[in-house]
Amino acid sequence: MSGFFSFARLIQVFERYHNFFFDGLKTTLYISFFAVLMGTLLGLLFAFGKMSRLKVIKGICSVYIDIVRATPLLVQVMIIYYGTLSLGWKLQPTELNAFFWGMIAVGMNSGAYMSEVIRGGIGAVDAGQMEAARSIGMSKGKAMRYVVLPQAVRNILPAVANEFVTVIKETSVLGMCGIHEIMFRSGDVASIGYVYVETYVIAACMYFILVFPVSKLVGQLERSMNKSVTR
Amino acid sequence: MSQGKTLIEIKNLEKHFGKLQVLKGISIDVHQGDVLAVIGPSGSGKSTFIRCINQLETPTAGQVIFEELDLTAKKVDLDKMRQKIGMVFQNFNLFNNMTVIDNITAGPIKVLGVAKEEAEKQAMELLARVGLSDKAKEYPIKLSGGQKQRVAIVRCLAMKPDIMLFDEPTSALDPEMVREVLDVIRDLAHEGMTMIVVTHEMGFAREAASRVVFMDDGVIMEENEPHEFFANPKNPRLKDFLSKVL
Repeated sequence: MSGFFSFARLIQVFERYHNFFFDGLKTTLYISFFAVLMGTLLGLLFAFGKMSRLKVIKGICSVYIDIVRATPLLVQVMIIYYGTLSLGWKLQPTELNAFFWGMIAVGMNSGAYMSEVIRGGIGAVDAGQMEAARSIGMSKGKAMRYVVLPQAVRNILPAVANEFVTVIKETSVLGMCGIHEIMFRSGDVASIGYVYVETYVIAACMYFILVFPVSKLVGQLERSMNKSVTR
Repeated sequence: MSQGKTLIEIKNLEKHFGKLQVLKGISIDVHQGDVLAVIGPSGSGKSTFIRCINQLETPTAGQVIFEELDLTAKKVDLDKMRQKIGMVFQNFNLFNNMTVIDNITAGPIKVLGVAKEEAEKQAMELLARVGLSDKAKEYPIKLSGGQKQRVAIVRCLAMKPDIMLFDEPTSALDPEMVREVLDVIRDLAHEGMTMIVVTHEMGFAREAASRVVFMDDGVIMEENEPHEFFANPKNPRLKDFLSKVL
């Protein structure tokens, strides 16, 4: 073997092991999808929790968000994975177990970040909007639903897209606890043939084809929603 | 001036923001058909006063009795009461995410439960009245300040309120747009709408108001019918104020 990178070698690796890569891609896709979904729902929950008038709820949400944001995802994944193992909360088969708790860990992590994004978006809507809604007799809930949240969504769309992208990329640490996602599969391939650079370049391509359409899609959505804010 | 039945009774209203006391005991009655103009220097508590009426600011002490119900009481259904108290803001506060027509029908449809078709028909009639029929499908961002404020007034009217509160409705407008908004408010006054108008437009207070109130330093310093108010001001602070603005 010679040279730091050979395109021919890359093709060779891909031809021989493409099943490994596509398997990993599929797992990464599934886990990202569910983690993003969970992150969004948790984010909403924590955002409203942190804006709650009840001090206990507010406190719990604040502590949760602070802890999650101040510790690395990998550490959180390890604690949840081995923690649930030692508690005996184990799903069968083993691979599904890893997948499930990995998804929970990433979702819980994303929820903390998402809640700050959502809270910021709501906070950025002019207070006069809420006041006007209340002044015609809307309850706080109706004012939120019909007036404030639609505007908050538009405000936070770019940040949410960023969070989606981050989640997809960060699932790469899940290989460490045995989930067969892209990085785990690439590790397999690399160690079979001792071909490292080319293998991880393929892995990079896999992430790219996942992430790039997401960011483009959100860009499009943003433009179509901009009708009410551009002259 | 004709004295209709008492619509709002304000008793010893006080408002503190932390250590700062903005309202220091305001008492005044508003009768049906009254057009009450509230004038005074900035920082005198005019806006806080009007915002305390529909409880956008919670008063620290005192009572606001609207149609025989105390709005400062804990158990009162404020959402229900606010349906009958319209408010027009200095900064318009049109819902940015809705078109003009949706801004106007939002209250009737989502709050009063009026059918969409009927709400839209009524909204179009109201828009025609203020000369904005062609703007129904526009978003607020495409309107001028004067147009926005006229839509905001129509949004209030669509709720068929018993009283309207105007919080410096022309203060954020370019000078050439003040007139179009004041004309609409003046028409409403002539039609007998009860209103409280916080304003810096002395001409408007003189012509359209049935009573004028001068506020300074968190209290009502003088109250009179407009002719006497402007011709024979008694309070020295009012004299001083008028000499600066007239």
